[in-house]
Amino acid sequence: MAAYFVQRLLAVIPVMAVVVTVVFLLIHLIPGDPVSVMLGPDASPAQIEATRRALGLDRPLHEQLFRFYSRVVRGDLGQSYFLDRPVLTAIVERAEPTLVLTFSALLVAVAIGVPAGIVAAAHRGSAWDRLLMLGALLGVCIPGFWLSLNFIYLFAVRLGWLPAAGYTSIMVDPVAAGRYMVLPALSLGFNQSALIARISRSCMLEALHQDYVRTARAKGLSQRAVVYGHAFRNALVPVVTVVGITMAILIGGAVVTEIVFNIPGLGRLIISAILRRDYPVVQGVVLITAAAYVMINLTIDLLYAFIDPRIRYG
Amino acid sequence: MVPVITRRSIVVAAAFLVGMLVPVLAFAQTKGGVLRVGNLGEPPALDAHWTTASITETLTNHIYEGLYSLDASNRPIPMLAEGHTVSKDGLTYTFKLRQGIKFHNGKEMGSDDVVASLTRWGKQSIYGKALFAQVAEMRALDRYTVEFKLKEKSAIVLISLAVPNNFGAIYPKEIAEKFPPEVKVTEYVGTGPFRLAEWKPDQYIRMVRFDDYKSRGEKPNGYGGGKTAYLDEIRWIPVPEVATRVAQVETGELEFADDLNLDAYDRLKKNPHVQTIVSKPYYWLVAVFNKKEGLMTNQKLRQAWQAALDIEPIMKNVAGGHSEFYRMDSSLAPVEISTWHTKLGGLPWNERNKDKAKRLLQEAGYKREPIRFMTTQEYKWMYDFALLTKQQLEDVGFSIDLQVVDWATLVKRRNNSKEYDVFTTGMGAFYDPTHHIYLTPSWPGWTTDEGIAKLQAELARETDPKKRMALWEQQTRQFYEKVPVIRYGDLFGLRAMRTTVKGFNDKTERIRFYNVWLEK
Amino acid sequence: MADAAVREVGTSTAESGVLGTVERAGQAGRLPSHTVRRLLRNRNVVIGGLTLIVFVAAALFANTISTHDPTRLEPARRLQAPSAAHYLGTDEFGRDVWSLVVHGSRVSLVVGLATMVLTSLAGVVIGVVAGYYRRIDLVLMRVMDGLMAFPAILLAIALMAARGPGVWNVIMALSVVYTPRTAMLIRSTVLSVRELDYVEAARALGRRDAGIAARHIVPSCVAPLLVQGSFIFAYAILAEAILGFLGVGVPPYVPSWGNVIASGKNVMREAFWVSLFPGLALTIAGLSLNLVGDGLRDTLDPRLAHSER
Repeated sequence: MAAYFVQRLLAVIPVMAVVVTVVFLLIHLIPGDPVSVMLGPDASPAQIEATRRALGLDRPLHEQLFRFYSRVVRGDLGQSYFLDRPVLTAIVERAEPTLVLTFSALLVAVAIGVPAGIVAAAHRGSAWDRLLMLGALLGVCIPGFWLSLNFIYLFAVRLGWLPAAGYTSIMVDPVAAGRYMVLPALSLGFNQSALIARISRSCMLEALHQDYVRTARAKGLSQRAVVYGHAFRNALVPVVTVVGITMAILIGGAVVTEIVFNIPGLGRLIISAILRRDYPVVQGVVLITAAAYVMINLTIDLLYAFIDPRIRYG
Repeated sequence: MVPVITRRSIVVAAAFLVGMLVPVLAFAQTKGGVLRVGNLGEPPALDAHWTTASITETLTNHIYEGLYSLDASNRPIPMLAEGHTVSKDGLTYTFKLRQGIKFHNGKEMGSDDVVASLTRWGKQSIYGKALFAQVAEMRALDRYTVEFKLKEKSAIVLISLAVPNNFGAIYPKEIAEKFPPEVKVTEYVGTGPFRLAEWKPDQYIRMVRFDDYKSRGEKPNGYGGGKTAYLDEIRWIPVPEVATRVAQVETGELEFADDLNLDAYDRLKKNPHVQTIVSKPYYWLVAVFNKKEGLMTNQKLRQAWQAALDIEPIMKNVAGGHSEFYRMDSSLAPVEISTWHTKLGGLPWNERNKDKAKRLLQEAGYKREPIRFMTTQEYKWMYDFALLTKQQLEDVGFSIDLQVVDWATLVKRRNNSKEYDVFTTGMGAFYDPTHHIYLTPSWPGWTTDEGIAKLQAELARETDPKKRMALWEQQTRQFYEKVPVIRYGDLFGLRAMRTTVKGFNDKTERIRFYNVWLEK
Repeated sequence: MADAAVREVGTSTAESGVLGTVERAGQAGRLPSHTVRRLLRNRNVVIGGLTLIVFVAAALFANTISTHDPTRLEPARRLQAPSAAHYLGTDEFGRDVWSLVVHGSRVSLVVGLATMVLTSLAGVVIGVVAGYYRRIDLVLMRVMDGLMAFPAILLAIALMAARGPGVWNVIMALSVVYTPRTAMLIRSTVLSVRELDYVEAARALGRRDAGIAARHIVPSCVAPLLVQGSFIFAYAILAEAILGFLGVGVPPYVPSWGNVIASGKNVMREAFWVSLFPGLALTIAGLSLNLVGDGLRDTLDPRLAHSER
């Protein structure tokens, strides 16, 4: 068990190395001189030289890469040009809204998807099943950003039930925070809920076909007990994996949702940084989100190993 | 003798008391509250000397002040100055400063702060540079007196010190000297009725009431006069999506929303909690040519562009189909700047002459090379008129390479003569002929034409108003012949505020929130 | 947004199921005819396929089906509701929405197809090399893992920011984002096929690696590639629309579904049709590709075919 843990932990290192390298390369993909793009041609040659030296762009590439690595490992993600503060600080300031949004969307996705999938599986072949799965198929294909626009139009502008955009921190005013989060979480979580519904359904179906379930039925247990008592628990295991992957997709989807709903999170930060050519911030956000994904995956894998002994020794 | 409290005296006393209360009751301004204002985005800087950007202008005019300001007729009136005297030969200006003016950090404003600030402004700001080109020397005579010695007679001293855009804000000497002119200040200390409390980029800028603000005694007058900060706080919230800004003022999440799209006018009018404001003028639309290098150095090509345009359908589209939101006018100063508004005829403006355009293209020797036309979607109307222009021009034989970038990139790129041929922007109102930045060689586009430069210099020197107007009309004719930029029409702006916002002056070009209060 | 992550490596049922077909396919060298017939009988493939053909036809014959030039601005006719003259109404510049949607399918399909082809090619090359050569495999797989750690849209946005707007940059960016998934799928296919008897036999007979790869391994990849490809097609179309909507995709005046939705968002109240129809087109296109992908997987993956749909 411990061996697996250690092995899995060590496997993270090369992945993160690749991540850091890709992030480093981003700035060098820019055609032309990144520094003058950053500072603008009205910057004096002295300023450009100073910035170039500060960024270490005057050194050979491999040396730059090495310095980038050592900075990142120490937690120094550089300085934002527009915001006049360390990139890490800017990220920490904006992390809360994105985290709240992502978790709320995850909640929505699971709360809608899992029951839908289980119900569909339990009533396989029925009209309910077909309806739910049709809905799930549609849900997978509807573009999230388009859904956001329609939600705003319907619920905020036309009906006036919810605010059109904006954000309040939970710590400041939980009720208002909740109201602001409903539409964003719904539109972001909707796609994922459909996916989770389909997966829950097939996992559930598979579990229902297992021998022990047939045994339970033969023993005379009610459908209910069979479904919720036995199959449910086993079906849930792969769903946990899906949750991890869902997180990564949600983090990406959060970018668009934050723009549409004017939420001051990491998604808004990266788009503004791109518009302002504030490359250190772009690099920092991409790096942090990739690192978060890797960590989440690691956690899920370790959890999975904990639950399912086959993995550990497989 | 014992004073008798007669019935009469009681009545008199009561009347006296009521008389004192009436002004208070009649106005019923309530102190307090937070005003949430939704604007386009982040300002590039909160340093008034550093940029001409409108967002910076609006924000900095709440926390800083200059020696002069503009009244309701757009004429200079004293603000931080008490007044001025001019020597007989017109070459020496002596300014007396108001006393007891406190900066936000507690320091009292003195002449050394003024000299340091205006020196910095004179090196960086367009208007500052234009003024200081005529200034031989500026110095502090005593604690509350500053003297300007001019090289030649000037018509523009007061007006330059009074314009709100890129203005001569008075900073404490220590700050003005600490930050060289090209470097934005990062410490924000002024004398204004509000002070900067917090700036969280992309989230909000919070300004709170400055309790030690010393207001002028007069009534509010245009941008100047008395200023009272009734509000506890102004919270400027960047909301880049215009549809969101509109929605948020409709639902009450914002008390004020600026720079709205004109399509929203009809439905905002119907909302009982919202008051719409049409601001005139707002911007007049221009396409600025790169006259330093590239295709558009060719005057005939520029004239061809001017001849080809049918401006009205473009303006109407940009104005969301509403004719009350635009105005066709060839004058370089809008109607609202009555002193400089011209009504000249026979100008080659809005000629809609496709044949003339085609002929000019031929004469120019144009071989359908693509013309790099830079615009942005962040100011929607810029993108709109660029796209419509592209179609009209291509119909007569131009080849236009439309490059859509973000505003920050456009502002940076327009300083580089290798990067573009034309770019879009909007001009706010200029209060003096010498302030028309597109007629100067230092502003992007680089208008270096000798004829234009000569007239600008004369305008700076000539003090007789009638003669100045004649020069200005001459300059206008020359403008349409040499075509340094293309002037489209005047666009009006749409703002919206909740009906709880009171005291707002809707006659000024840009928004100000001193003298504004929130009704409970 | 649905993601192939779940359907690929990691979901053991999918893997082994596909391999069942692979074994049979490997023997024949191509997809057996009864499989093709089964494909055509699968309801999802038929419905999805037909819808897709409609879109392709629309893209190919865009100029014929359009009623107006989609780039022609007609300011006098802005924001008109759907009518006989303009089937889907007009946008804020008076452009015909029907023509915009029809021409927008071109950008979407080109981007989707090109991305699918590029990722398949790159995925096969990387996956086969990785599956064959142990040492390179270690390095390659770490790189793929690293690339997959980035949320797809975020990486695409960052790449577009670095390279600038344009159709080709979009295709390149999306290909970089989606290739790792395909590469890993091919790799596991290759790994399984390598161990099969007839391949061992061929090697024992002295056949060269490249020959074995071409004759036995690559054909076995066809089925998983097709399945994966349809889903990548769908993601690429959606990703292009998102990039367009955010303003970092193709230039805003080029007709694309994302651009039209973006231009319509400011006038949702006054003219909901501008954002509505391209959004519907996007949904239906994605739907058709997902149906095809599902159907292909069900048909080419007999084990899953037994558990109900």
